[in-house]
Amino acid sequence: MSGIAVDVTVERRTGPGAPFRLEAAFETEGGITVVFGPSGAGKSTLLLAILGALRPERGRISVAGRVLFDSERGVDLPTRERGLGIVFQDALLFPHLDSRRNAAFGIRGGERRARADECLARVGAAALAERLPPELSGGERQRVALARALAASPAGLLLDEPFSALDAASREELGRLVSGLHRETGIPFVHVTHDLGEALRLGTGLVVMDGGRVVQTGAPSEVLSAPACKAAARAVGFENVFTGTVLRHAPEEGWSEVDLGGTRVETGLLRERPGEGVALGLRASDVILSIARVAGTSARNLIEGTVVGIEARGPVVEVAIATPVRFRAAVTLAAVRALRLEPGCRVWLLVKALAFHPLV
Amino acid sequence: MILDALGLSLTVALASTAIVSVLGTLAGWLLARARFRGRDTVDALLNLPLVLPPTVTGYYLIALLGRRGVLGGPLFVATGWSVPFTWVACVLAASVMAFPLMARSARVAFEGIDPRHEIAAASLGHGRLSYLLRVALPIARRGLASGIVLAFARAIGEFGATLMLAGNIPGRTQTLPLAIYDAVLAGADRAALALSALLTLVSVAVMLAAGSLGRKRP
Repeated sequence: MSGIAVDVTVERRTGPGAPFRLEAAFETEGGITVVFGPSGAGKSTLLLAILGALRPERGRISVAGRVLFDSERGVDLPTRERGLGIVFQDALLFPHLDSRRNAAFGIRGGERRARADECLARVGAAALAERLPPELSGGERQRVALARALAASPAGLLLDEPFSALDAASREELGRLVSGLHRETGIPFVHVTHDLGEALRLGTGLVVMDGGRVVQTGAPSEVLSAPACKAAARAVGFENVFTGTVLRHAPEEGWSEVDLGGTRVETGLLRERPGEGVALGLRASDVILSIARVAGTSARNLIEGTVVGIEARGPVVEVAIATPVRFRAAVTLAAVRALRLEPGCRVWLLVKALAFHPLV
Repeated sequence: MILDALGLSLTVALASTAIVSVLGTLAGWLLARARFRGRDTVDALLNLPLVLPPTVTGYYLIALLGRRGVLGGPLFVATGWSVPFTWVACVLAASVMAFPLMARSARVAFEGIDPRHEIAAASLGHGRLSYLLRVALPIARRGLASGIVLAFARAIGEFGATLMLAGNIPGRTQTLPLAIYDAVLAGADRAALALSALLTLVSVAVMLAAGSLGRKRP
């Protein structure tokens, strides 16, 4: 087994009051596992537990078939024997060492310098070898941090929001670098982020966390297109997440057409080229339901569908509509009664082009 | 007399600075990291020489190391040698007085290091000692350097505790500050001025040297 298996309970005291409690269980088959969720979901705590910097109350952690922690069998390897690399959000290079010495820090045995240079070259930082961390840009520091972690030939790599302090262009560039490094090394990566675009671009598996719990796991597109519960939807930020293909653009009129997989919609102008994939988010409360085919509105999308589910969540009712792509609309109980909505009803959805938010 | 006092002062100050640099760094390291009960008490005890009158510290040192002292008694019985009125007494008195300054600087310097550096070092296969030597000490070097300067300044200027424990024997335990005191008492104004100027010069020189060390890259 080349993946990561985690099943832990961690209690972490960060100040006065009740300790933060993390209960996380998931298994991956290698690849880049993206741990996604809002701030305070417990993502960093999870990484520290895998790394061995925080001791779980109970549980089991194994990476690439090697048991690192097992409370029942009394296994608790110290961080330096776990063989895991870590890249922090702020890179956290050793400030007194130049890039080469940083990269060489975890290398054992001879030819440290040559191997450090090799690793720097692999992350595109060969020219930075003699520079000290304060002389590097944020993106350059992350490259050196990646080189430092990989130079030690780890069994797995943990990345704690490594790009969140960078601008969008560097984020995408480093994302491609991380994907490339993953292909080259073949070791499992765990990549923590609260950026959905990053999660979709990088992840081969997605673990959604919220409030100290894993609320959903699966392939990224699968998790995003059907957030299993409210918490996952909240973590994603949209109740509706679609993956689709861009069909065409009308730049002068400011719109794009996207095929969501059987349902075509008009969105605001997208960056992706025709034929490329795109992920779109849509809030359930931005969907208007109509029992008649209305005309003369500014909503650019009038989509016919059939109600397939009605679920009351307090005073708000979530209506599921097959178009055939499934949409979720949030309406009030009053609206459900006035329209006499029930499963099987034929409805039209009115959605503004700009209500579709590009996620990648 | 001037050269004797200068030589002794430099020897004493350098020796005690060396001792205090090592012990104070260790104490600062432990205090910055350890979370044990009574940590505040230990901290307060270590800082006591900062707030006590030096003569009181000197008195305690006599009670501890004197011929009839708690440690000094058995030492005298065993070896026939005792600490007071030797240059060793000068070094000990200066060390005790300088120690809190070094320990405090070291503690602040170590506390300023992001603890995740140690996690990163551990993930790269380095244990605690390796982390201390290769990461923590270099990062803390400026704070440590300023602690060393403070300790040296305190050591070379030490008067009260030294007078109590080591006495004021010209050529043996008379350091520059004590020689200045003697010169003033004897009305030797020019000697007092010369000695004071010398002490000032040494102190300024050390401070400048240490300042440039602290700024330099290792």
